[in-house]
Amino acid sequence: MPAIQVTNLTKTFRAKHKAAGLSASLSSLFRPEYQTIEAVRGLSFEMESGELLGFIGPNGAGKSTTIKILTGILFPSGGEVKVLGYIPWKQRQKLAYHIGTVFGQRPQLWYHLPAIDTLILFGKIYEMEDRETRHRIAELAEAFEITDLLETPVRKLSLGQRMRCEVAASLLHKPRLLLLDEPSIGLDVVAKQHIRDALREMAKQENVGVLLTSHDAGDLEALCKRVIIINHGQIVYEDKVSTLKRSFLTSKLVEVRFAGQIPADFHIEGTETLKVAKERYGAKLHFNTRLTPVEQVIAALSAAGTLVDITVSDPPLEEVIAAIYEKGVSPSP
Amino acid sequence: MKKYLAVFKINLLNCLTYPAELMMRSATILLFMWIFFQLWHITFAASGSDIINGLSLHDTMWYLLLAETLELGRPRLARVISEQVKDGSIAYLLNKPYNFLIYQLSSGLGESLPRMGMLFVLGGALVWAMAGPPPDMVNWPVALVALAGAWLLHFCVNSLIGLSAFAVEEVAPFEWIYQKFVFILGGMLIPLDFYPAWLQTIAKSLPFAYMMYGPARLFVLPDPALFAQILVGQLLWLALLGGLLTLVFTRGMKRLAINGG
Repeated sequence: MPAIQVTNLTKTFRAKHKAAGLSASLSSLFRPEYQTIEAVRGLSFEMESGELLGFIGPNGAGKSTTIKILTGILFPSGGEVKVLGYIPWKQRQKLAYHIGTVFGQRPQLWYHLPAIDTLILFGKIYEMEDRETRHRIAELAEAFEITDLLETPVRKLSLGQRMRCEVAASLLHKPRLLLLDEPSIGLDVVAKQHIRDALREMAKQENVGVLLTSHDAGDLEALCKRVIIINHGQIVYEDKVSTLKRSFLTSKLVEVRFAGQIPADFHIEGTETLKVAKERYGAKLHFNTRLTPVEQVIAALSAAGTLVDITVSDPPLEEVIAAIYEKGVSPSP
Repeated sequence: MKKYLAVFKINLLNCLTYPAELMMRSATILLFMWIFFQLWHITFAASGSDIINGLSLHDTMWYLLLAETLELGRPRLARVISEQVKDGSIAYLLNKPYNFLIYQLSSGLGESLPRMGMLFVLGGALVWAMAGPPPDMVNWPVALVALAGAWLLHFCVNSLIGLSAFAVEEVAPFEWIYQKFVFILGGMLIPLDFYPAWLQTIAKSLPFAYMMYGPARLFVLPDPALFAQILVGQLLWLALLGGLLTLVFTRGMKRLAINGG
């Protein structure tokens, strides 16, 4: 049985609409105008149990709304949803025992108290035995490296430390499905890596399905096998992350610095010159690995002058995703 | 039940994290009680009698202390719930396996008890010094029962106002109006006994009297008939407002739109 089955899901909101200015404010008092916003438009997808699925899209794409429908907080306007066999909005409390959630922008830990207090509270809320709670806290503390942080008031933790505690708290009751909404928002590279590593390990060990929404393509690359990209409430791309990378990550960026002056007609065969910084003896190039092999470009650059520095990199996944949004790639079958 | 006890405990802990803040905030009752004493002292002196409509200055002050304790110590749930609706943090509270309303009740109680305790102790010390010792200990259990009923009524009205944020954008005006009704028709500023008979009749047919006057009056001058009347009134209003609260919550959930995506 799939962990999540979504068929033709729609959600519309009614929002008050008002033009700028005092007269518009006055007239909206007597004749309020409403605007219908279609947050989710006919979304259909499935997620297998234990799968790591990325669910990404720009702001306002409908990601968080979908997650909130999946947890049973929001009622959908249409369509069918089953999460672990439950209809979320009808069986919200039953479902709650089996899912964990992290909304990166909204803390669930008690701010003035040490994280251990919230964890113990959650143990009670999920009706766990005290011994089981203690054992599980120790297990999670080790996995997320938070043993030394548990007794510090949450307000004194760094954002990265707090997020590790947040994610650990969401796993306390051994959920079968974890819904993560922007878990790495605002974190530095090291903190992100910490959380990703621990999450990947826990998900593998306990066969927890993870549905992850993020703006950070790194989260997706590090954690997910499959990705669904949505925009304007609809799926615009659905495939394996590896396919996404293979199909769209064929271009490379090269940043190079020479020991001396760059000639005015600088050009490397098979590449596109993006920028030449004459005063810094530097250049930025772009090429497609399918058409031009990397070695050929490096050899041509070496021949062009004495190299001081060279960096070859993938374009950020954000750019790839942005290109998909813009071009509106049709969903794969 | 264990989970609600745990919610109560964590709120209690949270409230006791900053004892100095708790004490400073509670100290405002000293100012209120001092002003009340000055006002009623002059009023009783001007009336030329030690007793007005059955209440002495001593009774009035202890009545007002209990009323103020409840007013200042009750959780500001209307604001809390409406903020949770407005900033979207309600999403976290709704995806846990518990009853949202009982969660709020346990949470409010955990926050309220230490505040009310501190208010009563501080204010009580001043009233004792100004007006004399507290009412007979036999009055206390009766007053406590009515106080629990009053607290629950406040909880229902406050939560209803808070949940109205599902439908309206700003709940502060409702909270303001409700508070003023409690001040005037609940007998918080002036004991209802001092009102003309017709106004007393109106006040006692509304829920506000059971939210303030009931426990405060029983604390200073209890009598079995009044106790029965208050208890029945509280139970009826609780059934009505509790039912309405459950209905509003269930309906509200269907139209909930979490702010901030």
